[in-house]
Amino acid sequence: MEQWQQTLMKIAMAVQRRHRVLMVSDFFYPNFGGVENHLYYLSQCLLELGHKVVVMTHAYGTRTGVRYMTGGLKVYYVPWKPFLMQNTLPTIYGTFPIVRTILIREKISVVHGHQAFSTLCHEALMHARIMGYKVVFTDHSLYGFADVGSIHMNKVLQFTLSDVNQAICVSHTSKENTVLRSGLPPEKVFMIPNAVDAAMFKPAETRLSREEIVIVVISRLVYRKGADLLVEVIPEVCRLYPNVRFIIGGDGPKRVRLEEMREKNSLQDRVEMLGAVPHVQVRSVLIRGHIFLNSSLTEAFCIAILEAACCGLLTVSTRVGGVPEVLPEDIIVLAEPVPNDMVQAIGKAIRLLPKIDPQVMHDRMKSLYSWHDVARRTELVYDCALSCSDENLLVRLSRYFACGVWAGKLFCLVMTLDYLLWHLLELWQPSKDIEEVPDIASESLHEEMPWSVETEAI
Amino acid sequence: MSEKPISSRKYTYIHDEDDTGFQSIDSHHIMVPKSRSRQFLLYSSFLVLMAHVCSLLLGKEEWRIVFPWNSLTFVILAAALHLRSIEKESVLIMPTFGVQLETHYRSGRICRRFIPISKILKPVLNECVTPTTCYWSLVLILRGDKELTLVFQELQPPLEMLVSVWKALCTAVDGDTTTDCGMEVDFRASIL
Repeated sequence: MEQWQQTLMKIAMAVQRRHRVLMVSDFFYPNFGGVENHLYYLSQCLLELGHKVVVMTHAYGTRTGVRYMTGGLKVYYVPWKPFLMQNTLPTIYGTFPIVRTILIREKISVVHGHQAFSTLCHEALMHARIMGYKVVFTDHSLYGFADVGSIHMNKVLQFTLSDVNQAICVSHTSKENTVLRSGLPPEKVFMIPNAVDAAMFKPAETRLSREEIVIVVISRLVYRKGADLLVEVIPEVCRLYPNVRFIIGGDGPKRVRLEEMREKNSLQDRVEMLGAVPHVQVRSVLIRGHIFLNSSLTEAFCIAILEAACCGLLTVSTRVGGVPEVLPEDIIVLAEPVPNDMVQAIGKAIRLLPKIDPQVMHDRMKSLYSWHDVARRTELVYDCALSCSDENLLVRLSRYFACGVWAGKLFCLVMTLDYLLWHLLELWQPSKDIEEVPDIASESLHEEMPWSVETEAI
Repeated sequence: MSEKPISSRKYTYIHDEDDTGFQSIDSHHIMVPKSRSRQFLLYSSFLVLMAHVCSLLLGKEEWRIVFPWNSLTFVILAAALHLRSIEKESVLIMPTFGVQLETHYRSGRICRRFIPISKILKPVLNECVTPTTCYWSLVLILRGDKELTLVFQELQPPLEMLVSVWKALCTAVDGDTTTDCGMEVDFRASIL
């Protein structure tokens, strides 16, 4: 039989197989954010498809040990304290024992790491590859190439992705960015966009009157999210359009600048600052507005505009990164990240408003984006990963060697030491001594709901 | 009467039911066989010390200063190893009365703790996660106590041994002789 026929047969057999996935990331509940939500929703949908999902992350304060979330999602909060921006202290080999224990006791078949900025993810993927497990990586953000931080970050990414089976990016722009940063062959990278929970983001029951146009901004007020642009844009828009009001939700270092702008231009009654908005209240803030303004300077995907569109708001956004790929052209107005262009775009959006029907927009978003679709596509990626052939260590080391003149040798050394450490761990704690966890029958969990009894409330 | 003991690489589990006397006592013992490697460690460190002493005597160094410290260290280590060496841990279940947890050391010392049955809310199989490993443990949730009480303080027996003890504890606490959970065990998340 030919090679491609054999691969197809393997994929077909894998399709019928139930996967046991270990999701690894430094970013998970109880923190809220894009990566955290993605992990949670994807895990829930995979559980509904019949796969087993276990999440591994670091401890949050006193929250350590094993927790069970909705649907029987098992989360290991490993007691490694975060040291910088929610990341675990990178010890390279320190997490090997616990990762190995979890992989063996849960009988994992594929390891899925999330976010290039997560040290735990990189370490876990490295250890999983040394032990021969199949590995998938998802990149959620865009990174630069020029500054020192980005150069080192990209080298680490190159190391991890040298030996990964498959990679997933959330937009075509993100795929291009990842491929250029890591040198990964594009055939190995899949594009699966994020989605939105349409049940949570519904438009307002009664349509808002258009006497006063309300523009909503919800984002972290930091440089990356274009808070400086807002400082220029808001006074100009208020001057040109007397019936426009702004609602700004979110907090950050740039909040001071926005408050100053408000004072200087006497816009206290036209610009409302809400401060940090918890995720559960985002919808209630969104439905107070007609237009959603996003001024990010860089975005791989931008779930915020998806949530806004789901609530029936017309979006005005900067044309950066993966933003143009998210929404259809008739419900988004794009502008260059320059104040004049953005003011013109807002004017255009105000003129477009009468043609917008929030409920129609919501139904359209519901049909275009769903987490179940994301889970099904991810399942296909797992099948592809499992059908990859097993390679021996020398072939894999040759790929690491090609990473650079000095970096290549360093990476090979790191992987060789990891391989030796693995055999040492096998002697110290043989895998037959590690007990496998019996599976909880998922039917018994569903029968015994209400949620407050069996599952962990966040 | 006793059931057939279950053995693993490190531990042996024995279940005894004593029906004589006023009340039946359900005993569960986890025994630790005498470890050859531990004895080997003890004797080899003794040999090292002897060799050190001889070299000091021959080399005519300041053995008057070094020798007492070395021997003191050795004695302290040996004593610690011997005193902490565990022979077995037992759980004695007296239905409607209470549960006694015992730790028997090889030195002859026995640590006992009695918990009245009314104080036990639930026996729970808990997964403990440390920075390097993850293992099963059997704990008791006590009324009015924020901390979990470990049934086996020092030993980490395998899951099948823990399940037998857990079922017996559940029966005693619930007072329900028909409790049969099989392997659909009730995994409760840690409350810490």
